[in-house]
Amino acid sequence: MIRIEHLSKSFSGQVVLDDINFEVQKGEILVILGGSGTGKSVLLKSMMGLVRPDSGKIWIDGKEITQFSEKELLKVHKGIGYLFQEGALYDFMNVFENIAFPLQEHTDLDKPDIEAKVKKVLEVVDLAGIEGKYPSELSGGMKKRVGLARSIILGSKILFCDEPTSGLDPIRSRDISNLIRDISKGLKCTTVITSHDIRNAFRIADRSVLIRNGKIIAMGTQAQMEASSDIFVQSFIQ
Amino acid sequence: MALIRFIAHSIAELGNALCFLGDIVRNILRGRIRYGEVLRQMYEQGVQSLMIIVLTSFATGAVLAIQGAVTLTRFGAKEYIAQMVAWSLVREMSPVFTAIIFSAKAGARITAELGTMNVNDQMLATRALGVDPIEYLIVPRVIACFLVLPILTVVSEIVGITGGYLVGVFEANIPSAFYINQTLRAIRYVDFFSGFAKVFFFSVLVSWICCYQGFVTRGGSLGVGKFTTKAVAYSIIIVILSNTILTKIMIMFWG
Repeated sequence: MIRIEHLSKSFSGQVVLDDINFEVQKGEILVILGGSGTGKSVLLKSMMGLVRPDSGKIWIDGKEITQFSEKELLKVHKGIGYLFQEGALYDFMNVFENIAFPLQEHTDLDKPDIEAKVKKVLEVVDLAGIEGKYPSELSGGMKKRVGLARSIILGSKILFCDEPTSGLDPIRSRDISNLIRDISKGLKCTTVITSHDIRNAFRIADRSVLIRNGKIIAMGTQAQMEASSDIFVQSFIQ
Repeated sequence: MALIRFIAHSIAELGNALCFLGDIVRNILRGRIRYGEVLRQMYEQGVQSLMIIVLTSFATGAVLAIQGAVTLTRFGAKEYIAQMVAWSLVREMSPVFTAIIFSAKAGARITAELGTMNVNDQMLATRALGVDPIEYLIVPRVIACFLVLPILTVVSEIVGITGGYLVGVFEANIPSAFYINQTLRAIRYVDFFSGFAKVFFFSVLVSWICCYQGFVTRGGSLGVGKFTTKAVAYSIIIVILSNTILTKIMIMFWG
């Protein structure tokens, strides 16, 4: 479903991603682990086509996207849900308008159908009845849930989540992690999540990738990661 | 070395800004215009700038008439106050003042809005949602500016002339009918046209600069402040400098 080959990216001479290679199978949940500033978000944005890599190839659903034009990338984006770290909700729109936006842009649904879909997806993220609120009136966790609702409203088969638990308390982190897992498995989404939250990552991931200094240093299931003899892997997961 | 780096950076920046303008023009020519958004932006930009433009234009017209009364009376030419006020406002002062005030109010708002969206990932989210941010966020603002600035200029001219009229009639004791007649005789089509042509040019420059600065804003809230200040400063400088060139060209062709 998703394949990354020899992906590298530098900013002002500083290497952020260095020869990254991995695959994500259809319906799999893969968590990209790593400390702050290790290039997890850049990797996810590159996979989405929001950041152009210096070299390497990225296949999404059989299409190699690194050479795509901006217009072609916009078409690819319609098929991928992307949850930003802080939600990235439009602050001039209320919750309903934010979630309805992709439907208004990419479907011919009429108003009652859009309203019904928004209501349903808000129930899925456990936020029914907040349609009229603006992002400034929401807590960090609520913003992420609304962002998640917006990213799944088109029924995309690929879901990317950038640090969905950062800045949340342990209970909220667990809730949103479980929510992402339920949605991914329910909608049979191929899901890639970046995180430094090892406990929740292992709870929801089918496989994990650990990045350090722009390189993958470990990859596998929780059991495989725990069996690693690498000192950094052991210190990170413990 | 630093000078060469500065020049290279400036050329690269100008190149990026021209590509950005090219993207805007391409979207407009392909008819990718969201008319609802244009109307919303016209309302926001117009209403936001209207009051301050009315106040400054009224004061400008009144001051021109006061100074005119003092100066022209010395030469026994007090009856030409109306012409002087009308010419000055229609040919030069209203187009330039309106563009400058618009840059400081609506232009700053455009840059700050887009810049905040940029640093909060909303611009990136627009792309991630499969929508072109130039089409959705930039084109409506540019078109709104192109339509609103000329309207505001006409308002400025009318209010400025009214300010001059009140001073001329009640302060300089020029008969009302005479003042109105002199004003209408003073403004030829070419005077109005030359001022109006400038405004369309200014509207493109101001919207381009302010949208571009917002589009490339980075560096969090500090960056928003920095790029907004830069957008307003660039807009004002460009309006004043381009006005000099445009005035020369227009006088060469239309006198």
